[in-house]
Amino acid sequence: MQVASACPLAQAQGVHPGMALARARLIADLDIRPADPEADRHALTRLALMAARRWTPRAGLSGPDGLWLDLAGSAHLFGGEQAFCDRVVRFCARIGLTARIAVAGTYGAAHALARHGAAPVILCPNGRETERIAPLPLDALRLDSAMLGTAHRFGIERVGDLFAMPRAPLQRRLGRGALIRLDQALGRVEEPFDPVLPEERPFIRLNLVEPISTPEAIRTVIGDLVTGLARQLLERGCGARKLMLTCSRVDGEDQRVSIALARASRDPAHLLRLVTMKVEEIEPGWGIEAMAMTAVRIEPLAPEAVAGALSGTDPVADLAVLIDRLATRLGSSCLSKSCAVQSDVPERSVRSVTPLEEVADWPSDWPRPVWLLSPPEPVDQVLASLPDRPPARFRWRGRTHIITHADGPERIYGEWWKRPSEKHRARDYFQVEDKDGARFWLFRRGDGVDPASGDLSWYIHGVFG
Amino acid sequence: MTYVELQATSHFSFLRGVSSPQELFETAAALGYPALGITDRNTVGGLVRALVAAEATGTRLIAGCRLDLVDGQSLLVWPEDRAGWSRLCRLLTLGKSRADRKKGEKGQCFLHWEDVDAHAQGLVAALVPDKADDATAQVLGLVADIFGDRAHLALNLRRRPGDAVRLYELDRMSRRFGITSLATGDVLYHAADKRRLQDVVTAIRHTCTIDELGFRRERHADRHLKDAAEMERRFADYPQAVRATAELAERCTFSLRELSYQYPDEVVMSGRTPQQALEQMSWAALRARFPDGVPDAYGRTLTHELTLVGKLGYAPYFLTVHSIVQYACSQGILCQGRGSAANSVICFVLGITSIDPVRTELLFERFISEARNEPPDIDVDFEHQRREEVIQWIYETYGRDRAAITAVVSRYRTRGAVREVGKALGLTTDVTEALVKQVWGWSREDVGEAHAQAANLDSGDHRLALTLDLARQLIGTPRHLSQHPGGFVLTRDRLDDLVPIEPAAMADRQVIEWEKDDIAELDFMKVDVLALGMLSCLHRAFDLIERHKGDRVTLGNLPDDDPAVFGMIQRADTIGVFQIESRAQMSMLPRLKPREFYDLVIQVAIVRPGPIQGDMVHPYLRRREGKEAVSFPSRQLEAVLGRTLGVPLFQEQAMKVAIVCAGFTPEEADQLRRAMATFKFTGGVTHFRDKLINGMIASGYAEEFAERTFKQIEGFGSYGFPESHAASFARIVYASCWVKHHHPDVFCAALLNSQPMGFYAPAQIVRDAREHGVDVRPVCINRSRWDTTLEEQRGRYRAVRLGLRLVKGLANIHVALIVAAREEGPFASVEDVWLRSGVPVAALERIADADGFACLGVDRRQALWRLKALGEAPLPLFAAADAREEGREPVVTLTSITDGGEVVADYHATSLSLRAHPVSFLRAELDRLKVRRCGDLARIRNGARIEVAGVVLIRQRPGAGNAIFMTIEDETGIANIIIWLRLFEAQRQIAMGCSMIGVKGTLQREGEVIHIIADRLQDHSPLLLTVGSRDRPGSDGALKLRSRDFH
Repeated sequence: MQVASACPLAQAQGVHPGMALARARLIADLDIRPADPEADRHALTRLALMAARRWTPRAGLSGPDGLWLDLAGSAHLFGGEQAFCDRVVRFCARIGLTARIAVAGTYGAAHALARHGAAPVILCPNGRETERIAPLPLDALRLDSAMLGTAHRFGIERVGDLFAMPRAPLQRRLGRGALIRLDQALGRVEEPFDPVLPEERPFIRLNLVEPISTPEAIRTVIGDLVTGLARQLLERGCGARKLMLTCSRVDGEDQRVSIALARASRDPAHLLRLVTMKVEEIEPGWGIEAMAMTAVRIEPLAPEAVAGALSGTDPVADLAVLIDRLATRLGSSCLSKSCAVQSDVPERSVRSVTPLEEVADWPSDWPRPVWLLSPPEPVDQVLASLPDRPPARFRWRGRTHIITHADGPERIYGEWWKRPSEKHRARDYFQVEDKDGARFWLFRRGDGVDPASGDLSWYIHGVFG
Repeated sequence: MTYVELQATSHFSFLRGVSSPQELFETAAALGYPALGITDRNTVGGLVRALVAAEATGTRLIAGCRLDLVDGQSLLVWPEDRAGWSRLCRLLTLGKSRADRKKGEKGQCFLHWEDVDAHAQGLVAALVPDKADDATAQVLGLVADIFGDRAHLALNLRRRPGDAVRLYELDRMSRRFGITSLATGDVLYHAADKRRLQDVVTAIRHTCTIDELGFRRERHADRHLKDAAEMERRFADYPQAVRATAELAERCTFSLRELSYQYPDEVVMSGRTPQQALEQMSWAALRARFPDGVPDAYGRTLTHELTLVGKLGYAPYFLTVHSIVQYACSQGILCQGRGSAANSVICFVLGITSIDPVRTELLFERFISEARNEPPDIDVDFEHQRREEVIQWIYETYGRDRAAITAVVSRYRTRGAVREVGKALGLTTDVTEALVKQVWGWSREDVGEAHAQAANLDSGDHRLALTLDLARQLIGTPRHLSQHPGGFVLTRDRLDDLVPIEPAAMADRQVIEWEKDDIAELDFMKVDVLALGMLSCLHRAFDLIERHKGDRVTLGNLPDDDPAVFGMIQRADTIGVFQIESRAQMSMLPRLKPREFYDLVIQVAIVRPGPIQGDMVHPYLRRREGKEAVSFPSRQLEAVLGRTLGVPLFQEQAMKVAIVCAGFTPEEADQLRRAMATFKFTGGVTHFRDKLINGMIASGYAEEFAERTFKQIEGFGSYGFPESHAASFARIVYASCWVKHHHPDVFCAALLNSQPMGFYAPAQIVRDAREHGVDVRPVCINRSRWDTTLEEQRGRYRAVRLGLRLVKGLANIHVALIVAAREEGPFASVEDVWLRSGVPVAALERIADADGFACLGVDRRQALWRLKALGEAPLPLFAAADAREEGREPVVTLTSITDGGEVVADYHATSLSLRAHPVSFLRAELDRLKVRRCGDLARIRNGARIEVAGVVLIRQRPGAGNAIFMTIEDETGIANIIIWLRLFEAQRQIAMGCSMIGVKGTLQREGEVIHIIADRLQDHSPLLLTVGSRDRPGSDGALKLRSRDFH
């Protein structure tokens, strides 16, 4: 495991990127978090999109932690390059980032100066790239590690060292790529640029001739919106996971409702039904003059085969439809599914998952009660002989039960790796049937031999159906 | 009849059981069991250990095995007699032979019901059922057919729902088939608190964490050994199943002791008995050695030895070893016997050893004694590069079904245990690595909170505390079986009638399931075919001497009393010399001042953890230096200890003291010696404490003297040498010193060509040679071969040309191509090498990195420049065209490397530099910091407080004691540092981790021996990083030095 990056305080103490984590720990007390390149990239993309909206139409990603901006034609809008750079640095500081900027005539030179130059803000006049990048180290040219290694072995340390050397021998030894990078930095060769494109989501808007305020009218318009949106989704080959309906009122305020789906869908009837459930939440006020619907979250959805009369089988009921309807009415946090956990301790043997998640089957070898009491309730007046005979009677919630049949003990140990207190604990479970035929699941704390394993108190943990 | 536990799993079921046979038997004895059955999974590897434990605790061992068949069924088997045991071994051998190494099935066993059927006679069996269903019924029928009245069905109480019903139905089913039920406990560990460790090894086995283990854990409860009364109570409904256990225990009377020892037949016999053959050969050899008449002493000794050997029937043993050694000598392979065999005249005259026991007055009883009823133990060292030939010859001669290698059980050491347990408990690798780094290399030291804190981890964390606790318990548990490097077992009967064999890692090798100690326990014949690097080195040296100087020198004909050689040894000028080059040895040499061969024998034996702990070194040295009077309380003691000035140094002396002064019988004395020799069995010698002291008092010695003597003998507990062993080694030491003194050029070359070996790295060997006036020349494309060679005379010695084998990353085949191409004439240019040799450019780059093209007038950078222009193998058609084009390339000037850079590049490429030492570039800074030079230490007064700095060569912590020894080196020499344990713990990271260190401390001088006692360490590694290019440290210019760490 290695250090990916370190804050200035850590670096001052000697921790630097690339160092083994075990060694870094020895140097200082560190707050260690796992690196998440995916999330970093995501955040950087959002930053680039924002830059594309606010500062310049062409913005792209540069490496894992940088942006390229094409300032042609936009610098003057911000009062010149210096002012623009200061503004960007201030903006980044506000959102918690330390920024370094360089402006130059070529991307290669700008990259080199931003990452390896001395000052945090560098402006290189057009045509002066050669002299500005000459003193920089060779890494500034974006060469790959093999080229860098070879160059170092030749004693080539600075960019300027390359200028004087004849090109053909250099190309032969370092590869064509090295020369291309050099030429890109010096402006002799064009460099392609890959700007980010903001995504467009399916969107449909209907302006109404007259303001409406009745639920029926609203429902009709929603129906048209849904049909149009479904067509857009079909064209894209996607289904919607989240829809937002925006109603613009005459007085300028917007009313928004949104629905979420458990599985992507573009079925107009299904979408219509879900949205219609939320109509009561809309307050028309003096009237609604326009309504718009956006598919906020979409997912790819393959075309479905239509079940025709020839197929002969009944279509399988789709659980997702039911879940969507329930979730929309009750809220998705109310729905869950139980599944088994591989644990002997009954309290831990069940967990909740989302309704559609794939789970393994329930283990079927040993009988377990249908109803598990949580927490287990104490029972008293228990008559049982140690160490491993089942009880002859017990009392629970005021009623005494006389036992006629029993099976057990099933000895379950505590999970010692979870909590230190469970190291020695054991429970002996008994499945008992009383004389009325009711079956219960009792346990006794302790194995009856070792006092550390439990205090020999009795509980009831479940009832069999 | 009471219950007997028949199904217990030891930790030889790798990663399933967690209790040693010792622990199981001790618990069984404490619970009052008369016998205990051990059934490991598809192996009998632990049974000899179990036998030893059984005999120690008084509980009988019932040997057994649990066969896990391919179809998933499990069968417990116990052999009832010797024939049954043979069948079991053959069965396991068959199953293991089917394991396909390439599919990663090493160690696995594949058995089918047909195999069981074919080997069923003499075995009592019990099926281990799961549910009482049709599948079980079917298998049960099969078992009944195969085993008849020896078939059983095992009943376990699992503590799971439906247990009672299950047992009832199983019992009924068994009755239906006419099979007896057998109650067993399915024991997995000896005490209930081992459950956690068992869960952890299950997680390790499934390579997942304990949280993810889920139902793969052993879910059935109560797997510890319970007492008989409890088991009878649990099986109160099945008294016949309980009775069956006792009946089975009585029926299976087989004991591993019945596997008597086995000597292979020897080809030499031809009509004579082995004893006759041995006598004839020995006398003939003795007469040949003394053609003018055999002296009385030799004749008497030989007669005595041969009589004893005849009485005990050991002649075949000697014949076997003799034939192996004969073969080796016929092939010109250097070899020498070691160990107590050197006490025997028979071995000496037959050429097995090269020590004359009569002249050196060694005790034959140390080797073989009538009281001790075990075969002799002869180890033979062969030169390590040709040992394989000897091994193959052994296989061919004795046959693959009668020769095999003994196993070595690899056990968890501290680092491995911490890693595996940490991973199983979900700790991230950086945490476990941090812990592991604090633990010394290959130790078995305990790991505790101190380590956690030293690694800056929170030792209160629950999982971390669990890791430390469980890792401690795991240390010493077997992991898997691997093969011993050279221990052979040779038998007369078929091997697989005695012990299961499995195919080994190397092709055409087979390994038995037992280790060397197990073999010794059962008195099988074993021969250790060992490899000694120094013998290869000597062989090379002798060859070089013959080639370049014309003398034919051998181990046998060296004059062994050359005063110049002893003078060199007394000065501790012994870098590179086997056995006396360590720091500890070198500091002892100027004090001991060896003057003759026997002094060397003492020197080799004296500097070992044993004598040091037994407080024997100092008295001996004091007496030798004349600081203490040499006196003996009695004439008897003088006879025994005279040669070592009254201080017992050797195992044989300890034995003789016990016999002569304390009235031990030879048998008891031998037991004492064995207790001393098996250092794993700690606390063994203390048994004899009272006997010895009382015996000596009874013979009239003072109590204080008796106690002192016992303490000295107890110090042997960890490691004491037999005298003959020391003598054999001393022979090699002397030969090496002789070569080093008279032919340092040859010594340097031979040593470099035998690397890796010994204490020091090539850099130190070369430096030492240069200090002795040898001209060492760098690697050169036009002059070097693969090996280091000698060139023309340069002053007193020949010049040494470093071989291309020192260049990292260079393959032998490429060098061979270069040398072959060079036959036609030396190379003229870099391109010339490439064109004529056909070697890939990458290999030539390695040589360029080592500055090997300097003789052609190109330095590293220029050579690399030229090489990078070349493509892959040159096409003949374009060869000429290329040559023309070379001239057309414009000239390029490259910056030249700094001197420091050259040295760094030298170290990168060859791990040494002939130009300068890296520290020499830092001398200016070090002078400013008032750091002294290592070479000046001899002139500084005793007790001075000074500071030195240098690169770390060696770290050593002998016997896990209180002191850590470190050797550092700068451009002027080396310095020996002592770091006491407290300082070491306080500055552990620096002491263990840095490449260049600064030491502030006090200089301590005793005679010519100088140490620095450290009281403050400083990490100078960043300074070292700057050597490459003075203005900026970069990862490319970093100097990578690896020190060697020893115990």
